[in-house]
Amino acid sequence: MNFLHVRRGAVALALAIIAPALLLAQGASGTVRGKVTDAANGRGLAEAQLIVAGTRVGAISGGNGEYLITGVPSGARSITVRRIGYSPTTLPITVTDGGAVTLDVTLRVSAVNLSEVIVTGSAAPTEKRKVGTSIASVDSTLISRAQAVTLDQALQGKVAGAQISQNSGGPGGGGMSVRLRGVNSFISGSDPLYIIDGVIMDNGSAQLTDLGGRSNPQNRLADLNPADIEHIEIIRGAAAAALYGSRANNGVVQIFTKRGTIGKPRFSFTSRYATNELREQQPFNLYPFNENGRPVARFNYQDDIFRKAPATEQNLTVEGGNEQTRYFLSANASAEDGILKSTSSKRQGARVNLQQTLNTHLIANVTANYVTTQNQFQAFGENNDYGIMGSLFFAPTSVDFRPVNGIYPLPPALGTNPLLAIDRIKNPQTIDRFIGSSKLTWTPVQDLILDYTIGVDNTSFEARQFLPRNAVLGTALNSTGRSQSVFQGNRIVNQDGIATYSWKPIGDFVLRTTGGFNYTSQKVRTTSAVANGLAPVGELVGAGSVFSASQTEVELRTLGFFGQQEIAIKDRLFLSGAVRYDASSTFAPSERWQAFPKISASYVVLTNRDGLVNNLRLRGALGWAGSQPGIVNAYSQFVTYGQLPFAGRPGFANDVTYGNPTLRNERAREWEVGTEAGLFSGKVSVDATYYNRLVSDLLFFRPLATSTGFSRQFFPIGSMSNKGVELMVKTTNVDAPNFKWLTTATYSTNKNNVEKLAILDFQSAGGYPNRIRAGQPAGVFYGSYAARNCVTGALLLDSLGRYRRSNQTVDMGATLDQRRAISQGTCNDSVNAVIGDPNPSWLGSLLNEFSIGKRLRFRMLLDGVFGNDVMNLSTRAQNAGVASNSYEYERELLPFGDARKLPPGFNARTQGIFQYWVEDGSFVKLRELSATYSIDAAPLRRIFKEGIDVTVSGRNLAVWTKYSGYDPEINLFGTNAGGVGSVQTTAADRGFDFGGYPIPRVWSVSARFTY
Amino acid sequence: MRMIKQSAAALAAISLGACSLDLQNPNSPTEAQVTTNVDGVIALATGLQSRFATSYGNFAYTAGLVTDEFASTSASLISISDAEQGAVPSGTGIADNVFNSAYRTVRTADDLLTGADALAAQIEPGTRSGLRALAYTLKAEALGEALQSYQKIPVQTLGVTAPTYVGRSQALPVVRALLDSAAATIAATAPSAFFNSSILTPGVNLSNLIQIFRARYARMAGDQATALAAANLVARSGTTALSLLTFPSPTVNPFAAVTGGTQGIAVRRQWRQSMLPQDQRFSYFVIPSTTLTGRIGALLDPFSRWASPQAPLPVYLPDEALLIKAEALASQNNLAGAQAALDSVRTDCTGGRGLDDPKACLPALTSQLTQADLLTEIYLQRRYELLGTGLRWEDVRRRNTIRGPTAAPTVPLDGQRCWLPYAVGDRNANPNASVAALPDPTEPSTFPSGCTVQ
Repeated sequence: MNFLHVRRGAVALALAIIAPALLLAQGASGTVRGKVTDAANGRGLAEAQLIVAGTRVGAISGGNGEYLITGVPSGARSITVRRIGYSPTTLPITVTDGGAVTLDVTLRVSAVNLSEVIVTGSAAPTEKRKVGTSIASVDSTLISRAQAVTLDQALQGKVAGAQISQNSGGPGGGGMSVRLRGVNSFISGSDPLYIIDGVIMDNGSAQLTDLGGRSNPQNRLADLNPADIEHIEIIRGAAAAALYGSRANNGVVQIFTKRGTIGKPRFSFTSRYATNELREQQPFNLYPFNENGRPVARFNYQDDIFRKAPATEQNLTVEGGNEQTRYFLSANASAEDGILKSTSSKRQGARVNLQQTLNTHLIANVTANYVTTQNQFQAFGENNDYGIMGSLFFAPTSVDFRPVNGIYPLPPALGTNPLLAIDRIKNPQTIDRFIGSSKLTWTPVQDLILDYTIGVDNTSFEARQFLPRNAVLGTALNSTGRSQSVFQGNRIVNQDGIATYSWKPIGDFVLRTTGGFNYTSQKVRTTSAVANGLAPVGELVGAGSVFSASQTEVELRTLGFFGQQEIAIKDRLFLSGAVRYDASSTFAPSERWQAFPKISASYVVLTNRDGLVNNLRLRGALGWAGSQPGIVNAYSQFVTYGQLPFAGRPGFANDVTYGNPTLRNERAREWEVGTEAGLFSGKVSVDATYYNRLVSDLLFFRPLATSTGFSRQFFPIGSMSNKGVELMVKTTNVDAPNFKWLTTATYSTNKNNVEKLAILDFQSAGGYPNRIRAGQPAGVFYGSYAARNCVTGALLLDSLGRYRRSNQTVDMGATLDQRRAISQGTCNDSVNAVIGDPNPSWLGSLLNEFSIGKRLRFRMLLDGVFGNDVMNLSTRAQNAGVASNSYEYERELLPFGDARKLPPGFNARTQGIFQYWVEDGSFVKLRELSATYSIDAAPLRRIFKEGIDVTVSGRNLAVWTKYSGYDPEINLFGTNAGGVGSVQTTAADRGFDFGGYPIPRVWSVSARFTY
Repeated sequence: MRMIKQSAAALAAISLGACSLDLQNPNSPTEAQVTTNVDGVIALATGLQSRFATSYGNFAYTAGLVTDEFASTSASLISISDAEQGAVPSGTGIADNVFNSAYRTVRTADDLLTGADALAAQIEPGTRSGLRALAYTLKAEALGEALQSYQKIPVQTLGVTAPTYVGRSQALPVVRALLDSAAATIAATAPSAFFNSSILTPGVNLSNLIQIFRARYARMAGDQATALAAANLVARSGTTALSLLTFPSPTVNPFAAVTGGTQGIAVRRQWRQSMLPQDQRFSYFVIPSTTLTGRIGALLDPFSRWASPQAPLPVYLPDEALLIKAEALASQNNLAGAQAALDSVRTDCTGGRGLDDPKACLPALTSQLTQADLLTEIYLQRRYELLGTGLRWEDVRRRNTIRGPTAAPTVPLDGQRCWLPYAVGDRNANPNASVAALPDPTEPSTFPSGCTVQ
């Protein structure tokens, strides 16, 4: 197994920045060669960075740890060796002119590495110890070992303070959402800003066709091949993200792809085979009698719609290079079938990353990534017309769905025939995407570095939908068949320029001044054609007889300038101040230019000491960041008129959403304090942070008096806070030559509170019982409850033993006096109440890694979410009279006298009590479990230099939860935010299980060959 | 620092070229683009007629639901079938839609008036006259529908964020004044041929529209002389006597749009069955059924011609003018004249006045009725002649036959509610419409009881 590939992207810069006094190699020189090895196991360490102190001369170790530095000025020198995960070391050497010195270096594992160079959140690459905020970094090993389909899945359980949820279990990623430090906006979504190799990357999850209302089967981060990624840096909050200005409120995730290592071409081929399966069936009503006590045949359709689904993935990489040129090439193909029959996702892609030193002053970096994704999805979630899961939950188990004479019978009341959907409904998608960047680094004079990056993310997305005739109930147009074709082009172009100048004015002060700009333009063009009234044969729009079409074009531009001043005092105290001055085309010209300042301090108390406390650093930061309402609302500042044709003539009328000519961005203020400590001779590291964030000027619709002819307007409607703690502890429990045991634990809390609301409480997800309410966490469940006796606390029941619904006059009386008489008090005065909170009180994860000998490795990751409520609307649907297919409903059919018997109408009544459907959604998942064996026999080595790694792994193998549905992690609402009225969603909408696609259990076997 | 910032700015300026942050929205025009050019203002006139069709439809079907005209056909349309029993909870679509859509019509009318005035120099006088008269007329009717649905309504809504509510005594004169302005405008300058052929919806006659509305609200104000005069000015024969709103696909008429393309409401069967056996007017409106049943057991007849989503809808039924005339004459004690006007409604039969309107084909009354009997008969004829126009609600209100909410299986008679609860959409943002400032009127719970008209 190849060891860590680390932050090569930053190395070129780091070389220049870290060495404060630069001397160019000249005159008499010699060479230094040797090998960098791990002190614990003697294994060669690739990617160690060696610098001859006081010069720009250096090298990076190759795959086996060997390195060669040429042009080392003769004389007594010292060489500093750094590598992520290890304590840096500096060794003296003496080089003679023309001589060759051998220097082998052993590095010791260190859980705390304050010398790690990070790039994100700071204007230029900086050592971690100089930064006043907490920055999480995850390297390629952690990503590749997760055996996950997408990058965001691979990050689950790895980052303290990040709630990374898989909203659905479909193939191709399953609509992930990443929430850093809670909900920070209603309208602009909860997703952080993604940047890959300097390119701002779209992570939209729009589905273009209706695949389940507001559900998201896939988000576009799924287009990335996780195997290409070298490392990821995550900044979680405003204090760290100020330099990203008006888009950074939700944090920033910066992705760096592999750069290639110096040396001969190194080929690596990985092949993976996996199988996905439904973890557990839900119990359905299989009681062989109906409501009238007559015998009835019942069917468990889970047997027919779910399957064991295979997945394969092949990945080939070639990397190599010399001091002038480094390259990384990769090709990737994956195919995954979903556990819901007829769903699948395939991805093929290739990447070229190239770094070329043009001359001593100029370095060029080019990355190019092309990927094509083909999906075959089915609607789920809240789609009850042709969604498979909705149909499963809403169809009585007494319906025989098997086709008769080739015709699939439809269910009596809601949904479609799931067998028909699998057989005939098609939702193909094709995504072609290019992400590329070009970066030039120019060092015109000593200590001045100029960077210029241009990046493009261009996505072409085609989504089609085909519903055959008679696949949808009723007389609506879709029952005549529907064919839709939507094309969307989404192009993001960004340009970045950064200038960094380091200087030493006096004594112990080292200063670095940075300035730069960023310009981003995003354009989304969408064209849709829909046909109904389809011919019996033909699936494309041309087969239709009733047509409609639409087209939209949206552009968003952001321009920002920033400056930063860093001061290092005695290499111990680091102060930094920065400001970004930012403008977005979304906002009104008068409000457009906004300043986002930040200040931070870091004090290194101890560094590389022996004994109990080895390293200790204290840090603190204060900063501001903003967020924009998102591309769908990019024109909200304009007062617009909509088309309103009449009698065949074009007409206009005012949009009822009134533009806001003074629209401005949401603004987050955050401060955080924290510490990193290395303890017990590097065996334990602790990284702890407390943060406190207040987002003000939250944008949402405020109602306008409808008598004016308008109904709403985007407006700053309030403020919201997030406060919490993030803790990460890494321990080296055993570090013996033949046995190594490492543990990483994360713990984080977040307390969200809607501080102020200038408008009335509002339903955040249109049509669902959740609320944005002052004094409560965002998105709390709010609705009807089962009334209780105010004195005894006992449930109030009616004469048949059924609950009394708080919001029904039939149950509670028509007047307040009657309510109070029934309640024996005032505790049931309000018709609705806060009945649950989908926000977790804490998140935790526990990763244990074992190495036995040099060949065998085990890892186990447990990932948990605690204290969150989930509203089980799936089972509610099953209990509805039209469905009557749940195991719970069965109890109503049982004969009187049976211990499980429920009174008739019990289930009809609980339909109206939303509190009844709120369950504890806490869970612990066995997220990852794997064993890797390196076959390293001598004959094999002749072909495969580093042997063959064989890994058997599992993902989401087990879940410990009290939740009764398929999975407490899935959420009806994906990452979209927007919409109006019944289709409105916000970033606060979590914890709704309604027709979700279950998350599968995955077993996989992979082999990796390197030569 | 400063130098670096400046050079960064300079570098940015060079590399970005002329990157403007001032983008136009290519998807929808802005207010300025629409209201400051002639084509935009003319398009507003079309938008206004579209909004009017919606607000009129909302009023007509809601009024039909809370009286004895309509009921829902489907079990899933709970708020509709609650309304047919008189239960209209605050905040439901039924309670809010009439208000919201009427004031959208008002808004567009105001936009049109503003635009027509701002561009006075650029719009040819006859066209401008037509645009202004159309705006006055439809704004007046929208306000008139609001004051027939809510106890108090705002009348001044342009340029204010919190309109104030006034009772009918103040609102009705505003409506009538708007209609008088409309009449005066076209009297001073006749609408141009371009207006009549290319702006006004084909099939609509503006002059007739103004006069029928003038007659309607004069009658409501008890101004029988004006009602009579205006009713006489409404054409009763010829192609212009029937003003139709047309709904070419993909637009749909408001009755079809009630429930999004399905036939969500139908006419109560008792309406047909309570007619004289010879009365033929049912065939204009319904197809007799023996099977169609609503959610709470209501016996129904489905719509006939209006069942098609593209069916044109008359803005008013022409015999309303005769019935207003009859009522005015009766009130002025011209009983013979009143009876003659009434008989011309009763005896309207196949061929008739060449109009496609409801035809009773009843015999003329045999003897002269007393004033009271005449008024009762006029009221009865209005019930059968004017189905689905929303006028039934005002009729039962002024005859004090509101019965309050009914519960199934009781079949609603006359009307179940005096008023709708005020629109929550306005309440949420307008302090003058808060529950404290503007409590919902108390609905009657016993029969007979009248409604409080303020």
